[in-house]
Amino acid sequence: MPAVQETIDQVRQIDVDQYKYGFETVIESDTAPKGLNEDTIRMISAKKNEPEWMLEWRLDAFKRWLTLDEPTWARVDYPKIDFQDIHYYSAPKGITGPKSIDDVDPELLRVYEKLGIPLREQEILAGVQHSKIAVDAVFDSVSVVTTFKEELSKAGVIFMSISEAMREHPELVKKYLGTVVPVTDNYYATLNAAVFTDGSFVYVPKGVRCPMELSTYFRINEKNTGQFERTLIIAEEGAYVSYLEGCTAPQRDENQLHAAVVELIAMDDAEIKYSTVQNWYPGDKDGKGGIYNFVTKRGDCRGDRSKISWTQVETGSAITWKYPSCILRGDDSRGEFYSIAVSNGYQQIDSGTKMIHLGKNTSSRIISKGISAGHSSNTYRGQVSAHRKATNARNFTQCDSLLIGNDCGAHTVPYIEAKNSTAQFEHEATTSKISEDQLFYCLARGIPEEEAIALIVNGFVKDVIQELPMEFAVEAQKLIGISLEGSVG
Amino acid sequence: MNMQTKPPHTAAEQAIVDSFAEMIGQLPGDAPVTAARDKLLSDISTSGLPTRRIESWHYTDLRNLMRDLPKPGKGSATLAEPLVRGSLVLPMVQGQSGEPSAPEGLELEPFMDLLVSGAAAKSLTARGSDDLIGQFNGAFVQDGYSFTVAADTVIDEIIEIQSVQSGGQVHSRYAASFGAKAGATVIERYLADTSDAGLSTAVSSLELADGAEVTWIILQGCGDADQHLGQLNARLGADAKLKLYVINAGGKLVRQELHVEAAGEGAHLDLRCVNLLAGESHTDVTLTLGHNVPNTTSSEIVRNVVLNRARGVFQGQIRVAQIAQKTDAQMACNTLLLSDDGEFAAKPELEIFADDVVCAHGATVIDIDHNHLFYLMARGISEKSARGLLVNGFVDELIDELDNEELVEALETLIEQWLNDHG
Repeated sequence: MPAVQETIDQVRQIDVDQYKYGFETVIESDTAPKGLNEDTIRMISAKKNEPEWMLEWRLDAFKRWLTLDEPTWARVDYPKIDFQDIHYYSAPKGITGPKSIDDVDPELLRVYEKLGIPLREQEILAGVQHSKIAVDAVFDSVSVVTTFKEELSKAGVIFMSISEAMREHPELVKKYLGTVVPVTDNYYATLNAAVFTDGSFVYVPKGVRCPMELSTYFRINEKNTGQFERTLIIAEEGAYVSYLEGCTAPQRDENQLHAAVVELIAMDDAEIKYSTVQNWYPGDKDGKGGIYNFVTKRGDCRGDRSKISWTQVETGSAITWKYPSCILRGDDSRGEFYSIAVSNGYQQIDSGTKMIHLGKNTSSRIISKGISAGHSSNTYRGQVSAHRKATNARNFTQCDSLLIGNDCGAHTVPYIEAKNSTAQFEHEATTSKISEDQLFYCLARGIPEEEAIALIVNGFVKDVIQELPMEFAVEAQKLIGISLEGSVG
Repeated sequence: MNMQTKPPHTAAEQAIVDSFAEMIGQLPGDAPVTAARDKLLSDISTSGLPTRRIESWHYTDLRNLMRDLPKPGKGSATLAEPLVRGSLVLPMVQGQSGEPSAPEGLELEPFMDLLVSGAAAKSLTARGSDDLIGQFNGAFVQDGYSFTVAADTVIDEIIEIQSVQSGGQVHSRYAASFGAKAGATVIERYLADTSDAGLSTAVSSLELADGAEVTWIILQGCGDADQHLGQLNARLGADAKLKLYVINAGGKLVRQELHVEAAGEGAHLDLRCVNLLAGESHTDVTLTLGHNVPNTTSSEIVRNVVLNRARGVFQGQIRVAQIAQKTDAQMACNTLLLSDDGEFAAKPELEIFADDVVCAHGATVIDIDHNHLFYLMARGISEKSARGLLVNGFVDELIDELDNEELVEALETLIEQWLNDHG
């Protein structure tokens, strides 16, 4: 079936030059000089009033980073990054840490307004009634405000920027930081350990169900900066938390680096749901500019019967390199990964997940949908492994790719490793164009062609969308709407 | 700052270099052939054996797995009966070709002659920097066969290349060319005559002209101490059909690479692979399949039975080029992991650049289905026999697809024998 006009129109609609969040805000910033050395790290640590052990930790990471080589195995292609040509710290002037909303520069507030992010506690997300979301807003290198902190603390939930947590709850940070993603885990995680500037910290105590959705919005604004944030979420025994993450950046000709680390820890019977809508600037239609998104995200199901689920909608970034993973350590623990990755223009995505089954009766589920258009390249890379002691490990993987247009590529690289005879792994993958049969089926029932295509594409991503928290599903559906339906829907 | 220091040669790497120094005087070939050999050896010496950091060797870390090499040197071996009575046997006794008489329509020549004349010099190249098998075999190749089936000719008897070895090193090449609309069934069979540890490398190159229909069976029955590195390269012309069977039932360290290119419209590949793995063996089947023109199809089914402490690997990569619209490729890899100490790793990869294609791959790892077992046991069959039946059925299904009944019977007997010996 050749590309129908509607499909071509859709491709146009999702093209990279349609990026809505590309505006730049002129805000006076306090920026560190370019370059990466021990002094830069000391300066970051000093700016954050960090305890001495934290500085030692960073310096140690930096020493190790110097001995590592940049990984090249991913199916992405980019010019060598000059790590000395980046500002490792940039903060809007006058902000040293999160404050009350009234102290925040109105110019900054306007940025978040424009992005549709509710920073005032009475505000709610457009289109959704009666819901509260606590937001941590990270602007370049610092967290500018965290909302609903008081209400959350009544429930015992700690939600604050990680810099703040280091000062207020050093024992918790010290106990858990780097225990899921070790300092030397990989090149970018090690770099992050050395220079991370902010991020969110969540601690949900035993038996507490977090009373509202938590979320962090990351915004890169300043030129030539890198954003290195670190998120740490701990759910104690029987706790539950749902966390959302969103990211955007201005439209620029240069590439900018974003290397984050996210660590999740779920104890016995705890559940963490982590959702991402990643919409970094993808570069222009000729592939110029855009964010390099090199992220390490890992969850540790440390306790028995714990559960971690990752849901991601990926539409942004020039290059994406990320594999949100679950280490299923506790017996009967469960990991889930739901992903929609849409690539367009000259975007390159190499993403997927790892499910490492260590405990008994552990199970995991992977649903990944990749949509490639334009000149983009979209790779699913996932690993499922069952350790010798992981009796009755179960995995189901389904990864589908849809290609729109003839200059893009879709790739699937699963790694399936079984070391246990009671393991049951099933992997399915298909790559196809919108099927003529499906289209015919709809047309035969009187559905106009445009609507039919929209229906099929929506059906294709539905499995993932329905896993998003309600508030996010609305946003994501809009995103997918823009991306794939255009005038059709 | 990030200085790359090269580790010294491992014992096996040093043994390769030493073997070459020892053998080069006796290896056949004119000046260009010798130059090609030198180049390939120096590539191995420089980069060393591949490690898991090389993506195509991710699950077979040869640097770690290949501990040592048997010394080169001539042993003696005796040919076995052909798998199917009445086959045309192309003998390879301890790496040396014989002088079989060829039927009409089949042109046959020992590969050694092509080395001596220099005609093979151009073929002594590697597929890429990670092609250890091509490098190793190309540097050391002694003999083999080159044969051509004339256009519009169907060879009725089965051609069995029988390589029998007792220890030492054997490096052989088979170049097979099938004319337009030609047809043939070829078995490439590896046998061990003694339990002495042997090393064999083999590279087969198949050229199928338009409309040729070929069944090619690689039957690896090396000894328990043997190391075997095999590679098959095939190019399919328009409407050519290749039915490729790989049966691994032996060896200690085995890697069989299959590189197939669907180069003409209407080309079709069927790959059926049965891996019977026991002991402490490591067996790797790696496929790369390129759909390079529109309207080509392929179907790959790999079935693995893993016993004891055996480790199995299947890597399958299907590449669909941008112009290869209407490609239909289906790949499945199913593993029966029957031992707690066994391991299997699968990497079924799709790489797609065309938008109007249907590609799918599935991979499963399972134990025997308890419902099936219950069904049989409820009918009075003992658990052991029931398991045997199910395992047999799991792999025989693929063999049954062959047209030649005698061949099906011979292969099924062989599989049954293996399961009896190891079950």
